[in-house]
Amino acid sequence: MAATTASRGAAAKWVLGSPLILFAAIFVAYPVYQGIQTGFFGLSLQNPEVPFTGLSNFTTVLTDPGFLAAARFTILFALAVTALETVLGFGLALLMNRQFPGKRVFFTMLLVPIMIAPALMGVMFRLLLNGDIGLVPALLHGVGIDISLFAPDTVVPLLVLLDVLQWTPFTFLIIYAGLQSFPTDVLEAAQIDGAGWWRTLGSVVLPIMRPIIFAAVFLRLIDAIRTFDVIYVLTAGGPGTKTTTMSIYIYKTAFESGQFGMAAAASTIVMIALVPFVPLLVKRIVHPGRGAA
Amino acid sequence: MKAKATRLVTLTVVGIALAGCAPSTGAGGNSSAAGDQGNGQGTVKMVLWPGPEGDAMSKVVAAYNAGQGQKDKVKVDMALLSRQDTFSKESTLMAAKSSQQDIYFVATYNVGQFANALDPLTSVDASNYFPVAVDGLKYQGKQFALPLDVSNHFLLYRKDLLDKLLSSKSQWPAYEAVATKAIGEKRDPKPADQWDWNDYIAMSAWFSKSANPTSPTQYGTILQAKNLLFNTMIWDDVLWGEGGSWTTPDGKANLNTPQALKAVNVYSTIYKNGWTSKDSSQAEFPETQAALKAGSAAFALQWSAGFAELNDPAKSPQVAGKIAIAPVPGQKTHVHALAVALNKYSDNKAAATKFLNYLATTDAMTAYAKAGGIPAMPSVLKANASINPAFDKIAESIDKYGYSEPVFPNTFQAYSKLAEVLSGAWVGQQDGAAALKDANDELQKLLG
Repeated sequence: MAATTASRGAAAKWVLGSPLILFAAIFVAYPVYQGIQTGFFGLSLQNPEVPFTGLSNFTTVLTDPGFLAAARFTILFALAVTALETVLGFGLALLMNRQFPGKRVFFTMLLVPIMIAPALMGVMFRLLLNGDIGLVPALLHGVGIDISLFAPDTVVPLLVLLDVLQWTPFTFLIIYAGLQSFPTDVLEAAQIDGAGWWRTLGSVVLPIMRPIIFAAVFLRLIDAIRTFDVIYVLTAGGPGTKTTTMSIYIYKTAFESGQFGMAAAASTIVMIALVPFVPLLVKRIVHPGRGAA
Repeated sequence: MKAKATRLVTLTVVGIALAGCAPSTGAGGNSSAAGDQGNGQGTVKMVLWPGPEGDAMSKVVAAYNAGQGQKDKVKVDMALLSRQDTFSKESTLMAAKSSQQDIYFVATYNVGQFANALDPLTSVDASNYFPVAVDGLKYQGKQFALPLDVSNHFLLYRKDLLDKLLSSKSQWPAYEAVATKAIGEKRDPKPADQWDWNDYIAMSAWFSKSANPTSPTQYGTILQAKNLLFNTMIWDDVLWGEGGSWTTPDGKANLNTPQALKAVNVYSTIYKNGWTSKDSSQAEFPETQAALKAGSAAFALQWSAGFAELNDPAKSPQVAGKIAIAPVPGQKTHVHALAVALNKYSDNKAAATKFLNYLATTDAMTAYAKAGGIPAMPSVLKANASINPAFDKIAESIDKYGYSEPVFPNTFQAYSKLAEVLSGAWVGQQDGAAALKDANDELQKLLG
């Protein structure tokens, strides 16, 4: 009887999980397989024969100064925006964890940027920041500040700022959700022990929130490494290759150069570089105690 | 031990899978080995991009479906993809050898790249078209696409401001002083159709508040210096105007030259001196239109399509009626044709060819012009000059000053690569000579 129940349970697991397994197989595993496989072939628009090229695409990409420059910019950009968005998201979460008048309106407004498609955000920024017809330069001019936001010296900080504007609500939301389930008795104990606000924050809140903050940092970092839309719309990776991210490099290699094999190899390299971080996240989330040690 | 064996077996299987089967290139039901003529009837599927060309073509398609199409027993179904990604999506379809579309939208700058997925057109009467447009769509001696819309550049300038300068001789000494500082030689102001590139630089300075505080505009010009392949086409006008070109007569890369350096220096001189907005480093067509519309720049090199909007009082109330058109300084304008081509893997080639034959008629192109397009037929442009005052100028300019960059399989890549390598130098972020050396090396690689 017990064996029958166990086998039914196992069968139910597979039946219930099958839609997700099927979805993952068709829309994740197969495209990933195709992508990796394409990296080993010389598939291009000029080359319909599709020859097997082994590791050639991978070595070409890894020795291409354009890819290395894109990788450097992407990593620095991702680290900068993730750090800023985590700190600001955490600050906002602490603020929103209190009661104050207009909190609901403020909360709603905070979430608006993540609801806008990044490409649309890029187009909006392109109009808003245009030196001739944009609202932002006009307002800055009104207060005596004349600045060319898209000049080579200012464009990188501008891109960081725009990313922070769009994605801080994402880190805020994750951390805020964590704060909502924060054990209040721990805070009360800290208060009884006479800990001040900063001490409570540093010694109580941060250690307990660490797995959640880690998840927010990880998710945001991975997403920032894949950044494409806003930067592509605003700068197309220029001037020169100054703001070319790895995603823009891959896109241009595939669709401007028609080198699908090389683009697939570059995508695989990025994937291989990112995949080892996944178990870290899983470990931190599933066993937060061990990870935080 | 068991785990090791499993890993080994997995690796072997993956290796065999990777080596044994090439990536899918459309062996499914959506494609056929080399297409089919079909029965010459039914639905023809066509791709175009949105914007003036797509809008104009929609009306031509509607007219065909309601008239000639009924006789031909052909119905055309046109899809407008996004302007930015039409070619990317087509590339994917071509790589997959898809028969999903019968007619592709192509251009002079990518026909060489796409030629493998297209059927040569054998029945095109080229005599009605601008020769430069027809030649630009030939690859390895074969005509791969039918010209549809033609694009070139003009100097669009504020006639009111330039006329005022030309008629006020009292201002000339001040102009000469500004010109001497800008280009190292004394020059009088000239009418726009007589400018060379030094005049362009001197005028940029004169109409910039930084060099001439009494200037009516903030900047003389706006440069389209974003890292974008279309901006290479505009910079090429400077290169060709200075006597340079991409290649030597025997087909070798030819960018490491004094002419090319002069062309880069035209941009970098203007940019570094602040005679164009610092935001020009990210400018393209829309930003140039915005600067001219807002009256913050006195002139610019711009695509022919921009002129009508700038003289439309509803769209450009500040400058409508004040913008005039002149040939590009140096008397050279890039010309490219947007075109339609037959998918090699189409299952309905005969019907698609009927529609292509219809598009090659002056009637179809007249309808296209009336709907807002700029057809590549000089006779149609001249006959319809009343619709768009620029038509006459376009016909004259392409005929007298038009040139086309070399067509080779990697032309499209070359435009992108040159924009990538040179856009930093255009805005003074990189040494011009070093950038040109890199550009030359990259171009040579692409030329093969």
